[in-house]
Amino acid sequence: MGSILYYTLGAIISFILAFTVGITYMGLDRKITARVQNRIGPPWYQNFLDVSKLYFKKTNIHQGIMQHMGAAFMMVTAVMALLIVPIFNHGHFFPNLNFQGDLIFLLYIMVFGQLGMALGVGQTGNPNAAIGITRGLSQMTGYEIPWVLALVALMIQYKTTSIVDLMNVQAETGRWLMFSSPFAFLAAILAMLGMFSHAPFDIMVAPNELASGPISEYGGKYLSILMSAGAVFMFAKLTLYVDLFMGGSSNLLALLIKTFSFFLIPVLYGIVSPRYRTEQAIRYFWGWPSLFGLLAVIQAVILK
Amino acid sequence: MNMIYILFSIFLAGAILTWVADKISGILRDLFFLLTVLSATTFFYLKIPVGYTTNITLAGLHLQWGITAFGWYFSLIVLGLGTMAAFYALSYMKGKERLGYFYFNFLISLLSMMGILMSRDLVSFFIFWEIMTWSSYFIVIYKGKHVQRSGINYLLFSAIGAYAMLMAIVMVYAHTQSLLIPDMIQAFPFFTLSAKIWLPILFLTAFSVKAAMMPLHVWAPDAYSDSPMAYTSVFSGALSKMGIYGMVLVFVTMISYLPNDTAFRETFAWLGAITAIMGTLWAIAQDDARKLLAWSSVAQLGYIITGVAIGTELAILAALFMAVMHALFKGTLFLVVGAVEKQTGKVKFSEVSGLIRKMPWTFIAALFSIITLAGIPPLGGFVGKWMLYQSLISSNHVILVVAIFFASTAAFLYCYKFLFGFFLGQEEPEIAHVREAPLLMIIPMLILSLLESILGVYPQIIFRPLDAAMQTLGFPATQVHFWNTSVLFNEWGNQVALKPLFYAVAGIFLFFFLVLTIKGWKTTRKVSTKDISTSGEIPKQNENLTYSINFYQPFLRAVAPAMKRRMMTYYREIGSGLEAFFDYTRRLYSGNGQTYAIYVIIFVVLLLLFKNSLFS
Repeated sequence: MGSILYYTLGAIISFILAFTVGITYMGLDRKITARVQNRIGPPWYQNFLDVSKLYFKKTNIHQGIMQHMGAAFMMVTAVMALLIVPIFNHGHFFPNLNFQGDLIFLLYIMVFGQLGMALGVGQTGNPNAAIGITRGLSQMTGYEIPWVLALVALMIQYKTTSIVDLMNVQAETGRWLMFSSPFAFLAAILAMLGMFSHAPFDIMVAPNELASGPISEYGGKYLSILMSAGAVFMFAKLTLYVDLFMGGSSNLLALLIKTFSFFLIPVLYGIVSPRYRTEQAIRYFWGWPSLFGLLAVIQAVILK
Repeated sequence: MNMIYILFSIFLAGAILTWVADKISGILRDLFFLLTVLSATTFFYLKIPVGYTTNITLAGLHLQWGITAFGWYFSLIVLGLGTMAAFYALSYMKGKERLGYFYFNFLISLLSMMGILMSRDLVSFFIFWEIMTWSSYFIVIYKGKHVQRSGINYLLFSAIGAYAMLMAIVMVYAHTQSLLIPDMIQAFPFFTLSAKIWLPILFLTAFSVKAAMMPLHVWAPDAYSDSPMAYTSVFSGALSKMGIYGMVLVFVTMISYLPNDTAFRETFAWLGAITAIMGTLWAIAQDDARKLLAWSSVAQLGYIITGVAIGTELAILAALFMAVMHALFKGTLFLVVGAVEKQTGKVKFSEVSGLIRKMPWTFIAALFSIITLAGIPPLGGFVGKWMLYQSLISSNHVILVVAIFFASTAAFLYCYKFLFGFFLGQEEPEIAHVREAPLLMIIPMLILSLLESILGVYPQIIFRPLDAAMQTLGFPATQVHFWNTSVLFNEWGNQVALKPLFYAVAGIFLFFFLVLTIKGWKTTRKVSTKDISTSGEIPKQNENLTYSINFYQPFLRAVAPAMKRRMMTYYREIGSGLEAFFDYTRRLYSGNGQTYAIYVIIFVVLLLLFKNSLFS
């Protein structure tokens, strides 16, 4: 019983950390984008204001029970991902229910919330929402290929499917996987561009013409929870990349520096890029990124 | 009195009584039908224990019937799904014609499947296999002349499989002088090399036709979608598993004794993966829900075939577990389509939308099954998927695992299309009259989807009989004590504990669901699906803005090169080529006596010319 309380407390602390960092990064994204475009931009804490304003809105509308639950589904994915990805090496302070951090489970639980949210937005009856979802799902089939190739390469090279084991490998050898498995790293980074749906792979959100894509009918408390879930989920994904390729982090400062440097990749790449159409995006991911993934697998098979 | 005879007699007598009762009264017919299924199921599980065998001598041939743990495992699929579909059928088929015919064939096909599982010799196996083909063929053509084409396709491919199997049986008999399956398995390592290679190929041809493996799948989409949905659920859920049943036997008992079995295994694993990928792509392109599910069945059996072909302990465990899961979710989904078809009269996504409020229970069944299909935790589909990936990764099938992963990622596309197409989107005035399906149809669907979710947390319910089945196949006892604690293990010792995961998912969901519900309870309003803003406009009441035409057009554009060629065109070309050839040979019969005289002379001349070489 005591251990359950301990884990729950750890989960709550991790959640607060992930929420704060995630929302701050989102604000910084807006600030950086604005500065590159020679605008002043909103302050870095603008997204905190947005989330709380939305949460405290008096009137909320929904189109049905699935939409009502959609945000909760998304939150399940975000928190589960956060609980499975170890935040620190030797996580004594943030114990997390990391369940041995199984990668395949992580890949599948990541889809849980997205499918739930997709059903939620489907119920709104807004055609833009469904269009956004079809684009998002199609794009997912694109970047999943290099991403899975990279992960499989790591798995067979080190004979484990657990994130914790992969972190231990890096601690033992003293080399980050981004150097010892460079092709896997490249493939994973390119897949990350699609995963974060920044430009040039932002057609599913299409902020300008689809009215925020899938979530166009969400507002008030629903949008607030969705934004928080997005922030937490983003932080979990960044931590996953840090754990896999940079050996995890031993203190808060290292965690922030490492995650932020990963976060900058899609942001900076996105600012200067135009947009791909869906089929172009899919074909892009099946081109060079998948080739890097294949090279990673070949490397893994040879080195094994 | 022999228990197996009694079981078959129950089925047969029940089928005939149902058929006769149809001439007298509808209620009597329904009663007989239901009684037959229920009594046969109860009888089987109460009176026929695993290991029960009986010997028959028929026309000098020694035959044997009996049930092994492996067959018993598959009987769960056949009788479990069969019972549910039978209940459903009573309500679904109400008011349709020729019900005696339908129920008769339904029962006979259940009988034949049980017969296959209980055949311990090749002759009865073949006979039951043929009965299964014919009874399902009769149901495929139930709807009349316009579906005759699908029926003929199905029968043609089944005939190819049947001839292959018959040849294999003759070969076995020539080698061993015995028709018993155990004798064949024991004698197999001592066969000649060519027999060792040909036997598995012939058997696998027969089994892959039923399992709809590419390139022998072309009958499946039409046959699945043209049968009445109450039967399709059994057709796709249980009948196609008979192919898997045979495949597992062939791979475990025969392929392992081949000098070079990797080539065999790799070929079949890849055929399975290609089936999975192409089936998924074609499923995404469908607008007809029945066709979508039919292609999806083809794809899902592809995964199972891959697992069986890899043949490691974990892979076969995964494949057999997925076989049960597939029966559960695909059975349910076909029933869902049947319910929608019955209540709205439509099966196309572009014709119907927004049913969630009209048919909430059907939606819940569909939702659970789709989550299981997609393999998303914490439902049962995840267990099978996880084990399949782990077995592929730890046996170094790197590219294969990516192929399978792609197929299951792409499967999310059609999963969403199915739920969105029927149940979500804007409500139309045309569906205002639609009611929820009758209770007799809802309950089987809900029972099946409840099983899916229970198996996600307690997979040991299935693992226990599965473990016994694996031991019958000659594998060592699997780690039952681990399964019992709901923890999954791979060969490297990595694990997933299902129970805490389920509690975590449920806890987080409930917490945020409550937050969302309680916060602003009074000020939260539910509005209609017409109350939306699209590009600054509010749609009119009679406008339907649901997006359902060209649903995945961008994706289909991206994969268009892969879908350019269809297997059916090749078969058609072969067909027309043969027709032309036969048309040409037909000209030999010119009807002119002079020509025939010349043939005779040519024949005699040839005979004289080659006299020495022919008769020496």
